[in-house]
Amino acid sequence: MTWENFEMIRAGAVLGAGFSVGFAAIGAAVGEGYAAGKASQTLAYRPELSGDVLKTMLVGQAVAETAGIFGLVIAMLLLFTPNAAQPTIAAWAFLGAGLAMGLSAIGCGIGAGLPAGSACLGIGRQPSASAQLTTLMLIGAGVAQSTAIYGFLIALLLLFKKLPDVVSMPGICALVGAGLAMGFGAIGPGIGEGIAAENAVYQVARNPENGTLLTRTMLVGQAVAESTGIYSLVIALLLILGT
Amino acid sequence: MEGLGEVATWEMDMAGWHLVFNATTIMMTLVIVALLLLFGWQAARKRAPVPNLFQVVGELFVVTFWGLTRDALDEKLAKKYFPLICSLFMFLVLSNWIGIIPWMEEPTKDLNTTLGLGIMGFFIAHFCGIQAKGLKAYVKQYFEPMFFMMPLNVIGEIAKVVSISFRLYGNIMGGSIIILVVTYLVYGLLLPPFLNAFFGLFVGTVQAFVFTMLTLVYISVQVR
Repeated sequence: MTWENFEMIRAGAVLGAGFSVGFAAIGAAVGEGYAAGKASQTLAYRPELSGDVLKTMLVGQAVAETAGIFGLVIAMLLLFTPNAAQPTIAAWAFLGAGLAMGLSAIGCGIGAGLPAGSACLGIGRQPSASAQLTTLMLIGAGVAQSTAIYGFLIALLLLFKKLPDVVSMPGICALVGAGLAMGFGAIGPGIGEGIAAENAVYQVARNPENGTLLTRTMLVGQAVAESTGIYSLVIALLLILGT
Repeated sequence: MEGLGEVATWEMDMAGWHLVFNATTIMMTLVIVALLLLFGWQAARKRAPVPNLFQVVGELFVVTFWGLTRDALDEKLAKKYFPLICSLFMFLVLSNWIGIIPWMEEPTKDLNTTLGLGIMGFFIAHFCGIQAKGLKAYVKQYFEPMFFMMPLNVIGEIAKVVSISFRLYGNIMGGSIIILVVTYLVYGLLLPPFLNAFFGLFVGTVQAFVFTMLTLVYISVQVR
């Protein structure tokens, strides 16, 4: 069975789109569900705070949703940008783009959901600090997402890079490998940074005066936790630029 | 749907360079700047103990962001960087909201805007770091914990610019792509206003705030 060039590219693109939005949905949904669970836990014993808690939960969920939205954007781009002028190897680049975006969004969706949950718990404990908690939650969740954004960057590079005409096995493996490196490399940092943010937010609720110190400690810890994600970004960039 | 990747551009040749400008982004940025100037003029025109609408909104911005800036930096630095932080938020939030008006496009939908603002924040933060710590201590922090970690520390700093600017760009771009696709699928019936409210007003505000706070936090990490 011989496949036309464009058929091959379309196949890679739709497969990548499926991976991208499918995997990305896992993380975003788990994170949002966690936030909703903690919100109901808070409301069980502080029902009078429902307005504040619901608002914080929705804002936190909107941030956790970002990973899913990125997956959807890459899937849409994969479905609409392929054209017949591209070389056959582009099919594998599209597959790699889907993997990079989808897998990297798993960890970051969960990681962004964790501080949202603990912010709801914290508001139940210390309603007067709710503005401080929401700010810290947004910073923590935003930083926890940065590896998903590296995944988004790698996916965009794989989508729009000018690729060589020759189809070689190392070239194919480098393109898919770049996607795998970024995707798997981003799962751990996303969850890890989320754990750091979760605990920082909850401890600020216990002791709001120490907010500045806790924020700084959280950011330093998250920067260290993110370093493995940055190693994967470097490796993925080297793999793409080497092709 | 075919117009998804097309942008209006101005091209010109100057001193041997072929320059391409994104016309929509430039025009919309100028519109935002004009609107903000108008807002500032209205807010400060008739200052009174019983404020008018614009003065209330202006005071809301100033009080909120003055508190946040003072918490993150000390009093003296906060006075210096508060105008930057406050006006950055006002610019971004208006940029993200303007997409809900028909025929208007968000300047933040273009990577050039967000990357430009991210690079601006990067230079300001590192300038503050050098000013606060001195050049020697500033350079030394890149060689910690061990000297061969230097390249990765440098990449880590540059990756911050990438993450802050792609976060805003990805969210606004993603929102507008989703609105476009859903509008196309339901023939413009019923759903688009709600999607516009969610992605334009809600996500736009949250992401503008996240961008502003991260710029502030990057400055405060460098200073301390």
